Amino acid sequence: MNLQLFIPELTLAIFAIAVILLDLFVQRKGVLAGVSVAGLVISAGFTLTMWGSEPQTIFNNMLAVDSFALFFKLLFTGIAILVILASVDYASKLTNLQGEYYALVLLSVLGMMLMAAATELISIYVALGLTSLSLCALVGFLKDSKSSEAALKYFLLSAMVSAVLLFGMALVFGVTGETQLSKIAQVIQAMPLTNITDNPALVLGVVLLIVGFGFKIAAVPFHMWVPDVYEGAPTPITAYLSVGSKAAGFAVILRIFSSAFGLPEWLSLNWGMLFAVLAAISMTLGNVVALPQTNIKRMLGYSSIAQAGYLMVGLATVGILPTADVLGQSAILFFLASYTVTNLGAFIAIIAISNKTNSDLIQDFSGMIRRAPGLALALTLCLVSLIGMPPAAGFMAKFYIFSAGVHSGLLWLVIIAVLNSVISAYYYLRVVKVMWFGEPTSTEKVFSSGALRFSLFITSIGVLLLGILPGLVMKLTEAASKMLAFLP
Amino acid sequence: MSVGLEHYLILSAALFSIGFYGALAKKNAIIILMCIELMINAVNIAMAAFSRYSVPVLLTGQVFIIFIIVVAAAEVAVGLAIIMNIYRSRETTETDKIDLMKW
Amino acid sequence: MATDYIYIALFLLAAILFVVTTLLIPVTLRFLKIIPHNPTPVKGSPFECGVETIGKTWVQFNLRYYLYALVFLIIDVLVVFLYPWAVNIRHLGLTGLIEMLILLTIVTVGYIYAWKKGALEWK
Repeated sequence: MNLQLFIPELTLAIFAIAVILLDLFVQRKGVLAGVSVAGLVISAGFTLTMWGSEPQTIFNNMLAVDSFALFFKLLFTGIAILVILASVDYASKLTNLQGEYYALVLLSVLGMMLMAAATELISIYVALGLTSLSLCALVGFLKDSKSSEAALKYFLLSAMVSAVLLFGMALVFGVTGETQLSKIAQVIQAMPLTNITDNPALVLGVVLLIVGFGFKIAAVPFHMWVPDVYEGAPTPITAYLSVGSKAAGFAVILRIFSSAFGLPEWLSLNWGMLFAVLAAISMTLGNVVALPQTNIKRMLGYSSIAQAGYLMVGLATVGILPTADVLGQSAILFFLASYTVTNLGAFIAIIAISNKTNSDLIQDFSGMIRRAPGLALALTLCLVSLIGMPPAAGFMAKFYIFSAGVHSGLLWLVIIAVLNSVISAYYYLRVVKVMWFGEPTSTEKVFSSGALRFSLFITSIGVLLLGILPGLVMKLTEAASKMLAFLP
Repeated sequence: MSVGLEHYLILSAALFSIGFYGALAKKNAIIILMCIELMINAVNIAMAAFSRYSVPVLLTGQVFIIFIIVVAAAEVAVGLAIIMNIYRSRETTETDKIDLMKW
Repeated sequence: MATDYIYIALFLLAAILFVVTTLLIPVTLRFLKIIPHNPTPVKGSPFECGVETIGKTWVQFNLRYYLYALVFLIIDVLVVFLYPWAVNIRHLGLTGLIEMLILLTIVTVGYIYAWKKGALEWK
């Protein structure tokens, strides 16, 4: 067995343990953030060296090391670095619990990396457990009543959903007798079935899997936790949840549904259509309920439900045109990359501003352009990108994913999505209007730490780069998506 | 009539449904947690039955169960810690009184 | 097939008989005046290891027990992985040993963490 392929994950695990031990024996807590960022950078470096090599599997086909997994590993380490840099200001409020905070972030990144690499039901479940448990603890980290309420809601729902997901896995395992995705695919393709009603147990299993992962990606009707948890959680963790946990969910869905249930057509057409319907409901509900929100974190929570809807257009494409090309998969990966930089940027700006104003209400952002020009400009750029207007990344991402949708004949869905983008412009632009034309509530300037400004700078550059020169990343996403066809 | 796969599956489905009902209907967070454990154990029964009847030679199902048990234990630990945390600030574990954030 | 059920029926019968007899023995002895009937408050009170009981039976347990329980639960459940490994130790060889050592290291770090944080002290 080839243990050096597992080095990025091992590095992260070692650094997570090191952070916990350091926290016990070191008095100066400032080093902890540095050590965690160093661990993430080293892990990302090891991941980069593997890029482009032949796809391989480790631990008896439990984990795949291919471009698809590597793409997501780079994405997750990048997210975590930015989140840690953005929470340096925040973590000093946590006084004696900083070590746990950083260690839990590292562990959840580890879980997400394993989720992206897992090619087996058991490893998928364990990775999912690692991710969601560390996120639960992080959501409740502030220990005030809002934060612990958010943690309780997130925990109870995610535990319940993981039981449902397990039941789905048990059914799939029972019908096929396999837990490895590629072998499940072989068994299903060998079955003499032509219709969805021929094997109800298998169909029930697939539907329960969709329920489980739909919760992770915050799709309607499994979205009820999103606004509450986003509002109550510490803001850096909200940012982390909104991009990291969603991207991990999509990674697993893509892996399972394009390798295990990608063929035969009677199955893939049906789950493709199911995703199409969920996509339409998610975008509409997310955007409409976001309209009257007054808390910006809550508003971005509903907006992330809507974005999950746009992303599911890509999943529907994957189901309806399974073998044609990797347009849908590649569009999802590109959308995830652009959504990551955009949403992280927005949240980092919000962290900086609400650190000063101690409030998440939209009205308190009034006149921010005069109090903090840089922050307000970056936030405006990110909101414009979330609407999907050029020259920001969101435009290219939506264009790419909608053209994939049209290509597979889902014109009705794309029309709904475009209409939704128009609705969404209203509430995003309302924040922009308040910031640019509102009267400042005080004349005091808003200052932020160097680490935070650096991460905001990186995300803004990312938003512009993905919007103006999307070709670079599209090449990566296409290379990564091609790997999904490879079966270990 | 001998006891076959379907009997275990009926038992498992019944337990799962009871747990699911309890998780949705009960108000005390700890009882909800217990109901979720019931759901997970129902899955374990189904797993073991499938493992015995559909792949009798391999042990995949049993190995899966071991992992489920371990993850479930970790889940209980984290969950109880969260419930304790909320009890300290609110003096209650009734989920319908934990309603600072709505809509 | 039917013979299997006869065994079950026999077991059931034996179980019921056992319960009924054990219930009937003290009643019969009392009826035959072999055991005296002389209740006092001291006799009626619960008796536990020679210590007199204080307060009600339904009490809240100290939060400390819960911390011990958590530490115990986590370490205890991880032992589940040791058994399959121990059975197959020859077959798994050095790789298996290293993997198990990694697992034990992580558990030990958790233990050290709990210790340093004072979870094992009775304050």
